[in-house]
Amino acid sequence: MRPLPLAVTLAVAVTLGLGLTYVSVTQSRGMDAVRSGAWTGWPRSGTTQADPYARAAFARSGELPLELADGLLFLAAQDSAGAPLDGRCDIRIAGTLPQAQVWTVTLMDEEGHLIPNDAHRYGFTSNEVVYRPDGAIDLVLSPRAQAGNWLPTGARGRVKVALRLYDAPFSFSSATGESSTLPQVTTEHCP
Amino acid sequence: MSLSDFLPSLRRQRLLPRTSRLHPLRRVRRAFDRMRAALPEHVLLPLAFILVIAGIVHLASVLAMPVLAQKSAYQRLLDMAQPNHMTLLPDATPADMTLPMTDPAFVSAVCLYDLRERPLRVRVPATADYTSVSFYTARGLAFYALNDQAAGRVIELDLLSPSQRAALPEDEEITAADRLVVESPADRGIVLIRAYARYPDLRESIRRQLEAASCTSSN
Repeated sequence: MRPLPLAVTLAVAVTLGLGLTYVSVTQSRGMDAVRSGAWTGWPRSGTTQADPYARAAFARSGELPLELADGLLFLAAQDSAGAPLDGRCDIRIAGTLPQAQVWTVTLMDEEGHLIPNDAHRYGFTSNEVVYRPDGAIDLVLSPRAQAGNWLPTGARGRVKVALRLYDAPFSFSSATGESSTLPQVTTEHCP
Repeated sequence: MSLSDFLPSLRRQRLLPRTSRLHPLRRVRRAFDRMRAALPEHVLLPLAFILVIAGIVHLASVLAMPVLAQKSAYQRLLDMAQPNHMTLLPDATPADMTLPMTDPAFVSAVCLYDLRERPLRVRVPATADYTSVSFYTARGLAFYALNDQAAGRVIELDLLSPSQRAALPEDEEITAADRLVVESPADRGIVLIRAYARYPDLRESIRRQLEAASCTSSN
């Protein structure tokens, strides 16, 4: 090959390789994703068995992943039907949760920032939430004040929700099979 | 009816076998030949070259990321915390989060450790609620965690580098005393202490309880 085409080919190859790295590191949190309805968890990212993509993603973002012995994080950026979560809509998170010492639900914008509001309410904990008589939870994410367990979304476009289960006697195998163990996420009403 | 009309009608009725199907391998080869015809060698070769080099660059950059990242958790905490010293982190707010994806229901403290000279001794008195201690290497790899449910009232442990661990006498009192020994795979890293505040108005008292936590170089 002559030098100029070689240089062009090399430049294209390096750009493609780095571009692929950028996309995988910003979009993914590791290769061991466990899906359960609307929720995705990465149980191995908080262990010494974290894969190179998880390690790279956390090194870039600066996040310290939850150690698996401490807790397990699930993220939902879409509802159970697969539509992206829209902060201008009313979104309901309802259902039972797996056994855990403590759990928290946190609402964030697309980039993972908390959404400012007058009440300084960014999520619910297992102690704050009002349970239904059958022990299930029922949270509403909405830009307008709602009765019950309401989280203000500030009418952001895209939002995402983190569910963290602490000190949960949890095994990965049960998470893959039973999609019923995590609450349903439903978009109810869009203006 | 001519023969050329008759044969297809027979085929339709499955009286004659259909034209024999190509062997799958031969079909692949034929598709490859067609591609070769469409893409002559002077295009195909650079294309293969680009894919191979791009793959190598991609894998190398992913593997190098934990070493090269400028805004990793360790780098961020270096700006605000001293080594072998407990530092309480400010509460997560919409405007500022020291570490991304922090759970706002928790009060956190960190201790950056450096084991090159001496092991580290970590002591975390249990707060009113769920408390955990997690360990990460400077590259952000989580290697151990313990919570107050497992440890009891006070979480107390020694963090050792592999060589310090190897130098420990087998039947040292350290193991006899109710002290936990944890081996760190790296010389430098982060101890993250997190205490749960079940209601926002309990944060202040949890924060004061967490101030009693300590991490010191031991001898």
